Amino acid sequence: MPMKGRFPIRRTLEYLQKGEVVFKKSVKIMTVNYNTHGDLSEGARKFVFFNIPQIQYKNPWIQIMMFKNMTPSPFLRFYLDEGEQVLVDVEGKDHKEITNHVKMILGKSDKVLEAEALAKMELSNPANFGPKKYFLRECISEVEGQVPHPGFVPLPKEMTGKYRAKLAAASDE
Amino acid sequence: MPTRQASVHAKWIIGQVIGAKMKKTAKVRVTRLVLDPYLLKYYNKRKTYFAHDPLEQCTVGDVVLLKALPEKRSKHVNHELAEIVYKVGQVVDPFTGKRVAGTQYLEPLTESTEDTEVSLMGKLERLNITASSPPTAS
Repeated sequence: MPMKGRFPIRRTLEYLQKGEVVFKKSVKIMTVNYNTHGDLSEGARKFVFFNIPQIQYKNPWIQIMMFKNMTPSPFLRFYLDEGEQVLVDVEGKDHKEITNHVKMILGKSDKVLEAEALAKMELSNPANFGPKKYFLRECISEVEGQVPHPGFVPLPKEMTGKYRAKLAAASDE
Repeated sequence: MPTRQASVHAKWIIGQVIGAKMKKTAKVRVTRLVLDPYLLKYYNKRKTYFAHDPLEQCTVGDVVLLKALPEKRSKHVNHELAEIVYKVGQVVDPFTGKRVAGTQYLEPLTESTEDTEVSLMGKLERLNITASSPPTAS
């Protein structure tokens, strides 16, 4: 049974996570003005249809608003912190060109993204032990091949503390 | 607290004015895209904010940019009007600066060189066409 809708791939988590544009921290609002008819707005319409969900998924805290048929030419407008505004003309451009342009002007670069991903991985180091909520394992005894917890499997006699103490006492005499 | 924080999480928001009947306050509806967890599709979710508008410039239907106030003005008012982005009925195209209505320009794009005031008769007078005597047939 196939998925419902025109391009249902847009509604998959994999597609959403493949979004390339991650905005810088100062971008707060994104506004898209486009027209529903006309060839010049075609790129903008495709951008709204395909790329806006990806952008919103990767930037959950920015407000995105769409305005239809307000002006003759389509454009994007970004509102940054401190009242700064960025106007991007989108007339006649293809949706891929628009995403690349936006990524270039206001998106985090690939290097920065990689560094952030690395930092995140470092936080979740598998070498650390602790509560199940934050770490993989709680105790070394959970690893296969290591001495299991005596609560589950009794230790062999040679390893118990009282046998060793007895041996030490016997050898001292 | 040493650093002053805004009263609310949203520092800058944009929305449409839905009510301007209160004194110096505008009721603004802000829509955000929220992902439906099952359909994985984004839908607009509305929220109303109250904004302080000291000059009462807002009319219903304006698209307005709000800025968070550093401290709450009253129980519900946490934002103030930063600027009116699109005034209803008087939308201005950001590239040309001309007034616009939908996909039409209301003002002509290029400045016309001829006088618009001069009437048709005036134009004819300027052309200086006089009824000349018909050329004698030779």
